[in-house]
Amino acid sequence: MLPWRWLSPLPGLKNGIRLNSSYALHRFPELARRPSSRHQIYQSVSTDPYVNLSIEHFLLENAPADSSILFLYINRPCVVIGRNQNPWLETDLRALHNDRTRAAREGEAALYVRRRSGGGAVFHDEGNLNYSVISPRTSFTRNKHAEMVVRALHRVGATSTSVNERHDIVMSQTEASSSDAMEHVPRKISGSAFKLTRHRALHHGTCLLDSPNIRDLGRFLRSPARGYIQAKGVESVRSPVANVSAALADSFFSMQGVMGSVVEEFARLYAVHPDAVLRAQRAHANEPEIFAGDSWVAGTVGEAQSEQEDISKGITELRWKYTQTPQFTFSTYPIDEGPRERPPLPISLPSSTRAFLRLKHGAIIESHISVSSDPSTASEQASRMHQALNGQKLHEFTLARWTELLRQGLGATEGVDDALLHEFAQYLGGLLGESSLFAQHFWRPERDLPTSSPGKCKAAPTQCLEPGRKSHETPYFTMAEAAGVFAAKTDVLEMVRSFSCVCYR
Amino acid sequence: MSAVARSVRPFASRVLAQKPLTPVCRASPAFRFPRGTRSFSQSPFAQVKKYTESHEWIELADGGKLAKIGITEYAAKSLGDVVYVELPEPELEVTAGEPVGAVESVKSASDVLSPVSGKVVQGNALLEDQAKTINSSPEGEGWIAEIEVNDAAELDALLDESAYKETIDA
Repeated sequence: MLPWRWLSPLPGLKNGIRLNSSYALHRFPELARRPSSRHQIYQSVSTDPYVNLSIEHFLLENAPADSSILFLYINRPCVVIGRNQNPWLETDLRALHNDRTRAAREGEAALYVRRRSGGGAVFHDEGNLNYSVISPRTSFTRNKHAEMVVRALHRVGATSTSVNERHDIVMSQTEASSSDAMEHVPRKISGSAFKLTRHRALHHGTCLLDSPNIRDLGRFLRSPARGYIQAKGVESVRSPVANVSAALADSFFSMQGVMGSVVEEFARLYAVHPDAVLRAQRAHANEPEIFAGDSWVAGTVGEAQSEQEDISKGITELRWKYTQTPQFTFSTYPIDEGPRERPPLPISLPSSTRAFLRLKHGAIIESHISVSSDPSTASEQASRMHQALNGQKLHEFTLARWTELLRQGLGATEGVDDALLHEFAQYLGGLLGESSLFAQHFWRPERDLPTSSPGKCKAAPTQCLEPGRKSHETPYFTMAEAAGVFAAKTDVLEMVRSFSCVCYR
Repeated sequence: MSAVARSVRPFASRVLAQKPLTPVCRASPAFRFPRGTRSFSQSPFAQVKKYTESHEWIELADGGKLAKIGITEYAAKSLGDVVYVELPEPELEVTAGEPVGAVESVKSASDVLSPVSGKVVQGNALLEDQAKTINSSPEGEGWIAEIEVNDAAELDALLDESAYKETIDA
């Protein structure tokens, strides 16, 4: 039996509200585990995806087997990939941060995270609400909670939303004024993923309510190395997306309103005690508090919980984001298991340049990197390179490390100079590195587009996402075209951004 | 646009590139027997197949040391199309009720729990390229791990076929 800590006088005593108790935040794990806590509703005040995913995981592992839990949270900008996905294939690592403390400080790039559930890669930001329902596995179906959220969205006026065959929520666009045929395609507003344990089922989903990045969130999800990679594991299915707010004419819409509505629907679905609903509805982000009655817990959780032992363990576990990657190969030339054509090499590298890597758990287990056109020299280079590369974790390679490794393997060969080593390192790093290591390579129109016209592409070939598309000598956008494109059509901007260089006349 | 084409191509080429199947290693007593043999309580020659409430099966090969583990027909059916299997590494020590692997199907990650304690001999390499084998033959070719069991008597506590059938019919 828990000792009850009554607050006196209780803030909720008036108007006939039944007594329930406020608890110190550090009591969260104990209340979540309490066998009688059959219904639990939490809202996070943290925007750190590591903290939120770990609180969620704690609830999945520790709450009573017969309990039903709703957890709502909003993350700072981040890309979250599925349990069995490949970040080198699914994301543009150059636009992402690896380090959660640095990302918080610098704020510009989005954070990269891997979750424990299945499914594909999604983008989160402050306009995206994440809902998570953890319930007994026996009564669970994959659509149950997506339908619950659809009912909540209908309540706030988004009546054109429904669950599709992929257990995602889409919004039909029939009322849109635009005559553009694309506008009539249902757009995804929420993606679902699941984690099933022996007795429990976790369903979490995103919900794009009012994302400021809606126009170009795809750029985080396009890999520069896609054309070179052959991967096992799960590939994302790309879908056009929209904000729920786009369908709502009035400005009445609010994040808090939708959260309240989701809480209502959860309470109806699981017959939650009205006191719990009241407490959950009043959970204010600026006053973290936890309340509990005989059969329920409701309130706010957040950074405070990240210090608690079980949850900080969960945060540490998420370092698996690179090492959990299923086996894959990266190759600049066709190989048996991936015979398709590869994008051409940058012109600054000898045409005999070859780079092949096989990775398991994010570490190099096989490689062939050489520049020589003479087969025996190439094979010597490759074997020296492999000595240096074997067992190394790819995600730890900085530009300087690549240069050093290439010097060890290739430096002894005649004709290989510093310029070539540097160019090769830039090329590999540009395809496989992430932003904290290769930030300078991320192309930004305002910085990289020159103000005066003539000349050839200013971006180094290594900076181009699709070097094979056009020679860098051959412009495919004139300066004027590029300027017009940027000014007028944001969806074309998204396309243009995906090539990290724009050549111009 | 081209993003769609790009996402399709790798799959197509992967299908084209499939390696000939790695021969499935069958636990044959001739090869496997010599490690510290120990007689199994009832009949040392019969294969023993048991089930768990969390829908795994375990089949002890002749000799009573090596066992294959997988998920049941019922589990495979309810999970839907399996798209990826996380296989355990050889030498991994597993305890009864702890994950020995995981499968992903229809955006769901599900742990596969080891029915007994032991040490992993191998994961089923066939599943690396052909995860769907779990759907077509969950209790045959689609086994997930082979383990060397610590104590064959641990199987006694598991469900036999009829007891397991009762749990899923209930």
